[in-house]
Amino acid sequence: MYIFIIRRFLQLIPVIIGVTLVAFLIIQLIPGDAAQVMAGEAASEEQLEQMRENLGLNEPLYVQYGTFLADLVRLDLGQSVRTDQPVMELVAPRFWITLELAFWGLVVAVVVGLLGGILAATKQNSYRDLGTMMFAVIGLSMPNFWLGLMLMYLFSIELGWLPTSGWGDWQQIFLPAITMGTAGAAIIARMTRSAMLEVLGEDYVRTARAKGVKERLVIYKHALRNALIPVVTVIGLQFGYFLSGAVLTESVFSINGLGRLVVDAISQRDFPVVQGTVIVLALTFVLTNFIVDILYRVLNKRIEIN
Amino acid sequence: MAATDKTPILKVEGLQTSFFTHDGEVKAVDGVDFEVGANETLGIVGESGSGKSITSLSIMQLVESPGKIKGGSINLTGEDLLKKSKSQFAKYRGNRVSMIFQEPMTSLNPVFTVGHQVSEALRIHKKLGKKDARQEAIRMLKLVGIPAPEDRAKRYPHELSGGMRQRVMIAIALSCDPELLIADEPTTALDVTIQAQILELIKNLQESSGMAVLIITHDLGVIAETADKVAVMYAGEVVEQADVKTLFKRPLHPYTKGLMNAIPRHDVDMDELEVIKGTVPSSAEMPSGCRFMKRCPYASEICETHPSLATPTHNYGVEDDSGAVRCWIYTEEWDTATKKQEVQ
Repeated sequence: MYIFIIRRFLQLIPVIIGVTLVAFLIIQLIPGDAAQVMAGEAASEEQLEQMRENLGLNEPLYVQYGTFLADLVRLDLGQSVRTDQPVMELVAPRFWITLELAFWGLVVAVVVGLLGGILAATKQNSYRDLGTMMFAVIGLSMPNFWLGLMLMYLFSIELGWLPTSGWGDWQQIFLPAITMGTAGAAIIARMTRSAMLEVLGEDYVRTARAKGVKERLVIYKHALRNALIPVVTVIGLQFGYFLSGAVLTESVFSINGLGRLVVDAISQRDFPVVQGTVIVLALTFVLTNFIVDILYRVLNKRIEIN
Repeated sequence: MAATDKTPILKVEGLQTSFFTHDGEVKAVDGVDFEVGANETLGIVGESGSGKSITSLSIMQLVESPGKIKGGSINLTGEDLLKKSKSQFAKYRGNRVSMIFQEPMTSLNPVFTVGHQVSEALRIHKKLGKKDARQEAIRMLKLVGIPAPEDRAKRYPHELSGGMRQRVMIAIALSCDPELLIADEPTTALDVTIQAQILELIKNLQESSGMAVLIITHDLGVIAETADKVAVMYAGEVVEQADVKTLFKRPLHPYTKGLMNAIPRHDVDMDELEVIKGTVPSSAEMPSGCRFMKRCPYASEICETHPSLATPTHNYGVEDDSGAVRCWIYTEEWDTATKKQEVQ
């Protein structure tokens, strides 16, 4: 197991290098003069030169990349070209907010999704099954900003139970988390249902029943443990989507998360900030997959890595 | 070993199990009776679709939807299991009645250790603590002939061979010292040498515990090796019942005869193996009379009426009152009917 974790970790290194390379190239790949694009049309020649100097654009490419990596190791993501603040200081607090939001979204998706899938699978073709799957289709096809607006209208404006926007209080968690988690819940429910249906037909489920295991334990222990194996992968992917897709939910509920930061940065052509965000998001995604791989291995005893 | 005079451990009467499909009711088991005593082995033999597996699953109440037990009674030492509520019966399953299945490769849960799976039944039924159950599980694994049981208990099923896994299944089934063990094709999926070992193991364990064994198989060789009594099933019914020696000495039902003739033999020179022509009729084309009629070489007019399972009184050759057969040939009516035909 430890060997597996170490080996899997070593495999991350080329991926991480790839991520830094792509992030680094963001500035290089800007069509035309990067400094010009960032500084805007009205910039004077001196200002442009100053910007090139600041960003190190006059150096050869490999030196730039080397400096970039060296800074990265020291957690230095450069400075915003708009506010001159270090990018790290801009990204870090926003990242925590988005991470929290994605976490609660995932909680909604996993709890609702697993329960829905199990309820549907244990009574296949019943009204319960049909109803759950209908909700899943609706949840999946609803644009989440629209769902967010509808939730806000109902619970904040009409009923006045929950705040419309912001982040920090526990009451402010519910609506964004539901908004974010609904589509994921639908995907997880469908996945869980089909995995459970397959597993419930297996011989070892019959063996468990033949042993005298109570039906509830047959489902939640013997069957679910096996059905989770494919579902865990989907859950891990969902978390990645939540992080990168948070911008919609953040906009609807005026949450100052990473999504809004990057959208603002793009529209202001503040490329160091974009770069920093991309790196942070990509690394989180890579790390999530790493954790999922380990979980998958813990759940499925039959996997051998060679 | 035959012990017909003992009170039966298991007594099945008029068991009916049907599958309710979109195309109507399929009677998989249609009025089956048999009994097994302590220390006794009953073999149920028949080809695919004869209802033998559904019979065993019915006893365990493991028939899956759309299947349903429609009627009859299943008595375990005098208690009707079909009258028990679900939760009452759960106390019997895996405890007083156990079952092993055909597919050892897929019958164990891949995500739990072998030791965990053996100790589970002990924890449920014997209310043993974690440690005691583990000790007992290791003892069971040793009992079924698994080498280094302490080590194997920590393994996952995929790390064990098919024969070892079937031994584990037997350990699970016997962990709570059941009165009745049902073995549904326990050796079909195994190599021939392993087959013999597993059958031997079941036999030895039976001798030491005195449990009743119900062995379901399509293989007359397995029957000859293990059973004291045999019930031959065809299309959801028992068509012949006898103790094992009698059955092999003088099979009566044309179907049983056909099964025997279909066994390849090395001592007789045969160009071609005899087969029973045709297949088990589907429920839609099930004859209202004798169900074997369409495949029977002796079929006559009288076979249009459904025969009952009865002690043979005519035409059976060797004197022997044990056993019963569901065929007109061995009744008085056959003689009068065929004579009448001859006259005409």
